[in-house]
Amino acid sequence: MYAIFNAMKNLVRNLGRNILLASVTLAVIICVSAALAIGNTSEKMIEDTRLQIGSKVSISLDLMATHEQGQGPDNLASIGIEDYLSYGESDYLDKSVFSVQIPMYSSTVFAVDDETKGQKEWQNQDGSVAKAPTLMLVGNSDAETLSEFASGEREILPGGKMPEELNECAISSDLAELNNISVGDPISIQGQSQSAPNYELIVSGIYSDKTAAYASPMYQFQGLVHLGQRNQVIATYDAVMSKGYETDEGIDFQSQYYLKDPRELDKFEAEVRSKGLPRDYSVSINQEELDKVTGPLAGMRGASSTFMAVILSLGGLALALISYLAVKERKYEIGALRAMGMEKAMISLCLLSESVAITIVCLALGLFAGRAVSQPIADSLLAGQVSASQAQSAGGGGKILMANGKTQTSGVNSYTPISEIEVALNAGTMVQIAVLALALALLSGMVGIVSIAKYEPLKILRERG
Amino acid sequence: MSVLELENVSYAYEGSSKAVFSDVTLSFEAGKAYAIAGKSGSGKSTLLHLLGGLDVATRGRVSYGGESLADMNRNRYRARNAGIIFQGLNLLTNASALENIVLSMRISGMKGPGLKAKALELLARVGISPEKASRKILKLSGGEQQRIAIARALAHNPDLIAADEPTGNLDKDTEYKILKIFEDLAHKEGKCVIIATHSKRVTAIADEIWTVDKGVFRSVPTKRN
Repeated sequence: MYAIFNAMKNLVRNLGRNILLASVTLAVIICVSAALAIGNTSEKMIEDTRLQIGSKVSISLDLMATHEQGQGPDNLASIGIEDYLSYGESDYLDKSVFSVQIPMYSSTVFAVDDETKGQKEWQNQDGSVAKAPTLMLVGNSDAETLSEFASGEREILPGGKMPEELNECAISSDLAELNNISVGDPISIQGQSQSAPNYELIVSGIYSDKTAAYASPMYQFQGLVHLGQRNQVIATYDAVMSKGYETDEGIDFQSQYYLKDPRELDKFEAEVRSKGLPRDYSVSINQEELDKVTGPLAGMRGASSTFMAVILSLGGLALALISYLAVKERKYEIGALRAMGMEKAMISLCLLSESVAITIVCLALGLFAGRAVSQPIADSLLAGQVSASQAQSAGGGGKILMANGKTQTSGVNSYTPISEIEVALNAGTMVQIAVLALALALLSGMVGIVSIAKYEPLKILRERG
Repeated sequence: MSVLELENVSYAYEGSSKAVFSDVTLSFEAGKAYAIAGKSGSGKSTLLHLLGGLDVATRGRVSYGGESLADMNRNRYRARNAGIIFQGLNLLTNASALENIVLSMRISGMKGPGLKAKALELLARVGISPEKASRKILKLSGGEQQRIAIARALAHNPDLIAADEPTGNLDKDTEYKILKIFEDLAHKEGKCVIIATHSKRVTAIADEIWTVDKGVFRSVPTKRN
């Protein structure tokens, strides 16, 4: 007990050196606190997002597999809309969302960026000539899953509402202004082929649109104005499908299934296979989307881990060096204590107690300071990661050309990367910090203990003499 | 009654083939004061280090109470049985005089609330006031430090007191008082006091005087005898 009491007194007796040790320890603890808080919060957010996005299941043609099997586009198995709907009737699912997109043409509603004013024609696959599509009719069974509206990039302007009835639609403010359309005005749009159905819709809402005009600049360059974000006509899924589509021919039909528990993917797949889903189709979560959303967080987690490793290495090295020099400086004090009969173990206990005491004080201060600095550091790191992620994804994404000539839009129902984080210093993180801090204290103390092991009192006292 | 005995003891520094002394046989008894006199480098301090358990003989046997120091826990021996006053004092300079004494008591295993009072009493015995007792060692004079080193050696009430030039920094009056303490320790309290010295005043209080020259110990008559 007296050894610990003496160690506490030594903290004050050797104030200068202990302040130096405490400064390094405090700096290490603050950095480790911030890095661990950021890393653990990122980890938790990644896990939460995985549970959220990981529950979203897609059923799509496995192009890689069919290509490897040497199957041509004509040999591919196809599934009808009814099949997709039947897959949605599963106890494993929380909900199913169906969306459909149909390229349309209108002789009365001119599209944004369409300099030909609807006069452009193109040749269909069957050789017939038709008006080129200028608008995209979008139907979605769950308006809440329209990510642009959820993220606030699109917003219904005052006086309007999202379409709910079979004859309602919403259009962009750019499209409305170009054609002098107000809420309540009727619009008429037609399918491309002679047999395609026409839609007579009432504009129930006009929305502001801050999304990129085109998912890819190539679309605008090629004059594919119907792929422009401003030229979408948004209706309900039921409204679009009310014209009696039974197959997905000529339309872009997509289904999303949301599992109650992401771990039940295999069970859900077994069920849809039993319902007749061909092996050419895969049942999978959108790993790419998950990576895209959690990418900045994963990057930040990696950066914080690397930072922590560097800090712990350099900090540990600095503490070990200072401890070694401190013990050298205290050699005569140790020699005198040994000459007085103090056992090496007792002196070791003194040194260790000093290190632990310094660390405990620094831990209290470091946790407080670490919590204060971790949020701004996290914000800064995340902003950098989001920028890097956006730069990486620029030019990619958008529409994916499918084997059958159809396109798949990634803009609908997609998530945006996480750009905000609220760093928390929870009990688990604090325990981790405390363990690391005590490990540093042990390292620091052990360096001293190993150093004194070689000091025999008489040798020290002779050197002093 | 012999407290300490040296039997055919030889000592050479590590790595040196030349012995500081060879085949020395001496006996030290309780209740007596011994003076070891000799020139610098003659081996006086080395002998005290062997007696104080700070070093071990290259050859021969140093025993305390019949038990060889080489086989004993010498830390425990130094903490409880031997009080050593070093020529270089070896006080804890960043601690106060009082803390030096109390720490020595605690290392020896003494416990209880009265240690501080005992330490102050001991310091008063060597002429250190309570006010000076609370000062850091470096804020005290050389003479005061020497007296504190003496008090520290006595702190745990050892059977053996080995002192290396204990009065070197003291004025005559203080030297007299300190020597009186050593004399009383030997003759009134039954301790074995061994003092390495150049001083004739120190040899004057000794019951036995040994001179050492070139590693050879010789007994010389004392005034007492």
